[in-house]
Amino acid sequence: MIAARRRTVMGTLLHIFVGVMTIVSVTLLVSIVAMMVAKGATALTWEFVSQPSKSFGAEGGIRSQILGTLLLTLGAGFVSLPLALGTALYQTEYLAQRLKAVSMRFIYALNGVPTILFGLFGYMVFGIYLGLGVSWLSGVLILAMMILPTMIVSIREAIEAIPARYREAGLALGMTQAQLIRAVIVPQSLAGIITGMLLGLARATGETAAIMFTATTFSGVDLPQAINEPVTTLQTHILLLSQEAIHSSATDAVWGAALMLMVLVFCFSLGAFVVRSRLRFAA
Amino acid sequence: MKNSTDAAFILKDVNLSFGSVPILSNVNLSIQERGVTSIIGPSGSGKTTLLRTLNRLNDALPSFQCTGSVLFRGQSIYTNGTGPIDVPRLRQHIGMVMQKPCLFPTTIYKNVVFGLKRLQLKPRSDFSSIVEETLQAVSLWDEVKDRLHRPANDLSQGQQQRLAFARALACEPTALLLDEPTASLDPQSTQAIETLIQELGTRMPVILVTHRLEQAKRLSETVIFLSEGCVCEWGGVDDMFACPSEEKTQQYLAGHTL
Ligand SMILES: Nc1ncnc2c1ncn2[C@@H]1O[C@H](COP(=O)(O)OP(=O)(O)OP(=O)(O)O)[C@@H](O)[C@H]1O
Ligand SMILES: [Mg+2]
Repeated sequence: MIAARRRTVMGTLLHIFVGVMTIVSVTLLVSIVAMMVAKGATALTWEFVSQPSKSFGAEGGIRSQILGTLLLTLGAGFVSLPLALGTALYQTEYLAQRLKAVSMRFIYALNGVPTILFGLFGYMVFGIYLGLGVSWLSGVLILAMMILPTMIVSIREAIEAIPARYREAGLALGMTQAQLIRAVIVPQSLAGIITGMLLGLARATGETAAIMFTATTFSGVDLPQAINEPVTTLQTHILLLSQEAIHSSATDAVWGAALMLMVLVFCFSLGAFVVRSRLRFAA
Repeated sequence: MKNSTDAAFILKDVNLSFGSVPILSNVNLSIQERGVTSIIGPSGSGKTTLLRTLNRLNDALPSFQCTGSVLFRGQSIYTNGTGPIDVPRLRQHIGMVMQKPCLFPTTIYKNVVFGLKRLQLKPRSDFSSIVEETLQAVSLWDEVKDRLHRPANDLSQGQQQRLAFARALACEPTALLLDEPTASLDPQSTQAIETLIQELGTRMPVILVTHRLEQAKRLSETVIFLSEGCVCEWGGVDDMFACPSEEKTQQYLAGHTL
């Protein structure tokens, strides 16, 4: 009897606890988004989006920053997609069963490396050792490395989700492993491959630490004219502007830039979501 | 039995298991170069496993083990002293229709040429005539000729099974493994497929897994009866159905009305 009552009390307490925690976290997240939208929406005019910045961001717009962020992000996606696809295929199709688990653990661990370490590594290897300096190319390479684990994991999951009977149907027709990959495995996991790439891009877009070291200068540059020139990005622009928060024009601009960045990240995530739901039903 | 040089498949002391679970032990068989051989036996007796051993499709299952020797046209297909075995090539020779047909999520047309296209066996210009021929052969042509470019997965189960058959035939196999190819067909299409099987049997070895004893009796020259982890009995179809020598066979045959 007592035990039963205790159980109900515990149950109620647990219910209240998870309820409160949910309310707190949802409130936090919603208020961040709401604040961004509230503060940023007024600043985010077409003028602001389409003009280059002037006097270190205090005036003008964020055109070069938006393009810079896109350049870096898309470049990183372009570099890492073949690497991630190749690695995922190697793991699922060629690696011995025992090594699969080991390699996966390694990749999960890489996924958890703080991005500042990627930045430092990229700066030393690409920037100094390979002499690429602070440049678009260095930034692309280091971002590509950074999002690689995320992409490998989601592509691999997509490949493993292919029902065995599809493979068998292909193999029974006499296909080699390479033919099977081209005819069955890649087409059947295409949705997952694209989703993986978009999630990686969303991650890269939100990244600041790694590219601060490798790719960007805070101001004074427009678009890079060559791959060895630095780019400027929304992320670093926000950092710069927020340090000058006393100027009211800078405050407006920082919210505008922040909202823009959020919109970009959101677009990639939304894209991933759409592809996932669309292609799943087509397949 | 005829002498063994005329055999397409020869199995000597073959043991099949998944991990430590034996599925079939001590299998000794030879399967003729021409004619239909039926494999019968209760559900779970290892018919599918045995069939998939012949084209090495079980290889993909991590715990599968095969010992003993399996010869296809005189060549060992599992172990070879002289070099690696070209498994894809082996599978090109041995067409297969699976128990559950698995079509690719594309059109009917593309499913038929799925193997052809990747293996580049024929020029593309021949594809449409091959599609028509093979779909005619499995008597599916009339049902689908107006919707060749519609999704194959819209077809009924029985139509899918015939499409899978056509897909295997399109690659021009020189031996065939059929795992209950008429399981979801109506009497009329069953009749058509049986005629096809008989016709194919005059040109190549056809191994047919079936639950319908009357079908085994009608179509095959040789019957293999699997039960309780081994080949219980095998031999000419007439002997086997008229006077089975094993008691288990007698019981199994008696339990199924012919
Ligand atoms: N991948 C696998 N791993 C482990 N055991 C398996 C596997 N595939 C089949 N088996 C086992 O092997 C035995 C034989 O299966 P099989 O599919 O060959 O039977 P079958 O005679 O074809 O039956 P049915 O008439 O129902 O198709 C069954 O006991 C089954 O559980
Ligand atoms: Mg079976």
